[in-house]
Amino acid sequence: MRRGLSLWIAAVLVYLFLYVPLLIVVVYSFNDSRLNAEWVGFTLHWYHVLFNDGDMLQAWANSLIIACTASIVATVLGTMAGIAMHRYRPKLLPFMVLTPVAMPSILLGVSLLLFFIQVLNLTLGMLSIIIAHITFCIGFVAIVVHARVAGMDDSLFEAARDLGATPWRTFRLVTFPLILPGVIAGLLMSFTMSIDDFVITFFTAGVGVSTLPLQIYSMIKIAVTPEVNAVSTLLMLITLTLIVVASRFAPDALRGKA
Amino acid sequence: MSDARPAQAAAAAPCDAARPFATVQRTRRNVVKWIVTAPPFLFLLVFFLLPSLIMVLASFRYPGEYGGLAPLGAATHPGTDHGLTVETYQFFFSSFIYTEIFIKSFIVALATTLICLVMAYPLAILIARSPRRHRDLMVLLVILPFASNFLIRVYAWMIILGPQSAFSHFVNSVLGVFGAGPVTMLFSPFAVLCGMVYVHLPFMVLPLYTNLEKHDPVLLDAAQDLGAGSWQRFWRVTFPLSLPGIFSGAALVFIPVLGIFVIPDILGGTRDILIGNLIENQFLTTRDWPFGSTLSIMLTLCVLATAGFAAWLARIGARRA
Amino acid sequence: MRRLGTLLCAVALCLLAAAPAVAGTTLYLYNWNNYISQSTIRQFEQFCSCNVHQDYYGDNEEMLAKLAAGATGYDIIVPTQFAVSALIKQGKLRPLDKSLLPNFRNLDSRYLDHWFDPGNQYSVPYAFTITLIGYNVQKMRQLGIPTDTWAAIFEPKYLKKVKGRVTVLDSQRELMAAALKYLGYSVNDTNEMHWRQAEDVILRAKPYWAAFNAQSYIREMTIGNIWLAHGYSNDFFQAAQDARRAKRPFTISYTVPKEGAVIALDSMVLDKTGRHPKLAHQFINFMLAGKHSSELTNLIGSGNPNQAARPYIDPQIAANPAIFPTPEVLTRLEYMKDLDHRQRRTLSRIWTEIKVR
Repeated sequence: MRRGLSLWIAAVLVYLFLYVPLLIVVVYSFNDSRLNAEWVGFTLHWYHVLFNDGDMLQAWANSLIIACTASIVATVLGTMAGIAMHRYRPKLLPFMVLTPVAMPSILLGVSLLLFFIQVLNLTLGMLSIIIAHITFCIGFVAIVVHARVAGMDDSLFEAARDLGATPWRTFRLVTFPLILPGVIAGLLMSFTMSIDDFVITFFTAGVGVSTLPLQIYSMIKIAVTPEVNAVSTLLMLITLTLIVVASRFAPDALRGKA
Repeated sequence: MSDARPAQAAAAAPCDAARPFATVQRTRRNVVKWIVTAPPFLFLLVFFLLPSLIMVLASFRYPGEYGGLAPLGAATHPGTDHGLTVETYQFFFSSFIYTEIFIKSFIVALATTLICLVMAYPLAILIARSPRRHRDLMVLLVILPFASNFLIRVYAWMIILGPQSAFSHFVNSVLGVFGAGPVTMLFSPFAVLCGMVYVHLPFMVLPLYTNLEKHDPVLLDAAQDLGAGSWQRFWRVTFPLSLPGIFSGAALVFIPVLGIFVIPDILGGTRDILIGNLIENQFLTTRDWPFGSTLSIMLTLCVLATAGFAAWLARIGARRA
Repeated sequence: MRRLGTLLCAVALCLLAAAPAVAGTTLYLYNWNNYISQSTIRQFEQFCSCNVHQDYYGDNEEMLAKLAAGATGYDIIVPTQFAVSALIKQGKLRPLDKSLLPNFRNLDSRYLDHWFDPGNQYSVPYAFTITLIGYNVQKMRQLGIPTDTWAAIFEPKYLKKVKGRVTVLDSQRELMAAALKYLGYSVNDTNEMHWRQAEDVILRAKPYWAAFNAQSYIREMTIGNIWLAHGYSNDFFQAAQDARRAKRPFTISYTVPKEGAVIALDSMVLDKTGRHPKLAHQFINFMLAGKHSSELTNLIGSGNPNQAARPYIDPQIAANPAIFPTPEVLTRLEYMKDLDHRQRRTLSRIWTEIKVR
């Protein structure tokens, strides 16, 4: 019993460690001080500032466009990769799918920067960011989908085949409905990863295409006002909603994420 | 196309009905395989493998006068007609300073991993031993902070550790009681470590939990029946069985920490630069792309070595268990 | 399936709702942070009915590196002399069309036709700043630290009184220049021996510094976390003003060290890849008008090369030798020159050593 109690205390402390910092960010978003060093008084001023900050809104829009495009493309490619990895056991593909996920993201950012500038001579912008995001998102989708496919009974597909179904019909009527929770989980994960990414975007972003994390970074580096806290609070609220919605649509998705 | 060929095959061997069917299946299977595998393969070939190879090549080039790479075969580098050089690698080893930064990054990564492990373990055990209906929620609570932006999670520590914060006042008044001078916590190795642990903790909890969840409680009961105390049960049964979980969690924390540059950048002080900062610096301040590439390749080698080591440990751990 | 459809619809709706209505053309300006007032920007936006988008840098090296790393599409950049010459040599700049710049004649000829751009084919002087030391007046007086010498940030005997309360610029060139000046060398000295001596000076002082900081020291000084800093004159102007407005119980001041310092003349140039050269010329001409140019001094605190701006400038600022150096101070100030890639690599190694040790 004593042991159980100490476990609980340790766990509660860890949960506090996880949540108190975020709570502080939220609280300070209502701080009536430009310097934001100590608590001065309550205000909604910073939310007002935020909604009138054109650059910030533009960055929001960019982030959403990038995250939607990248996560949808990555989901299609990643699902293919996940299925292929299970069914055909290719040698090189798993390596190429998993490495961008596993290695420090600065490496991918830097190598893509070199490639875009030195080889493709591409003007950095929306396209370069989207490509970079797809590259690391494919892996997340493939892992989830692969886990899902691997957990399925192969005899189902054989049965469908024996009954004369074309591969496309088998996929549409048997495979896809079965892997759907995995696919949705992958989609949501890559969407979150894309919205959240700073490092890779930092290296592949061009002029005039700022994303939310880039905007937040420059605010933190140059002049921190509670506007940063305000945008953080809103962002948390939105992702929280997204997760609640996701758990409604695909209760399995969250387990897949774990 | 794919329909025409099996028809020919069927005509060629009319007496054997089974074989054309098998051929149809095989051809079809190949076509499908190709359709499914090729798009992700090609995409990653072009946007992951090729850039990585380009980076290897770039590490053997000369830096351009104003950044980027010097053109191949540039006449500005007497003694070479091909514009390739190992000079950058020599430069890396010409001063111990770079090796030192790599060692430092390893130490920081190791410390982060260990702290994460110590913090994650009790939580993971608790979740694994909770009633099944509570587990999902408890896991969700671990993942949820992830939902806020990475930079915001780092920024939170800027507020907490700042010299005017309540936490700083508290720590300094406690220190004052013991007669120790006031300390500044922001812009210090301590702040960097806080940020690192905070951002990576869930990566340790999840694999540990996944592993611990699978343990058979019967084993612990058996150990208890044999007279093992709670510490003994932990060290002799739970801990060894959880080694694979520990190793995968450790790899998930250790490897990203090795390459991180944002956390030292935001929370670090005058001495806290790690490999990531060094690489970022070559590309975004010094305009020395070949050296940045060389550093990236060194980092890649370190990551591969670490991953190999972790896999080896996990295999041994699994065999023991 | 239907649920998935609903989810996608919801996402699409979010997208539509979030896309802001941005109208008109946008001028992309790549500028030093804290180098133009928001109100000046707003006036220009009204004047041309366009948007101005600003990105910021805290160091010339950073700006040059970003441009080399594929940042294209800026209409206007505001580099310092040596960076202007680097950009000209790279062929990155668009020649000016002076017929679109009637206000060009407002400029003081002392700031025209310099070595980095003979005849001002590419660059228009914008403002100048001095890299110096800024300090919390009360604290310095209380602790007895001299404020007219680089010794304040380099000598341990002073630094130990302000340990953890000092920041220096996170800029290889600027910090090296300060240390070289303290040793009595030129800021453009490239002798590696002298660099090593400067490194020693820096390493001796470093344990007492709180951070290398090129951007947020304004805020830290205003709050009172930092008492002494190596930074740009216009940033200290800002910090002093902020501290006064926030009714902080201290004042912030700044002086040119007696050993000499770096003066930077920043110029507006046109990036070749910019898509709005017409608008960019309009912006330059707008900034050359006496009234608008004077705001760079009155609101930002930078030195002003514009003669037409003089009547509008607050006489108190005009009399500040740390913003408008007197001829006597001017003899102690130096302009920086560009380094070649080998010197950059050596300096970068020294810098890494400085950061780690």
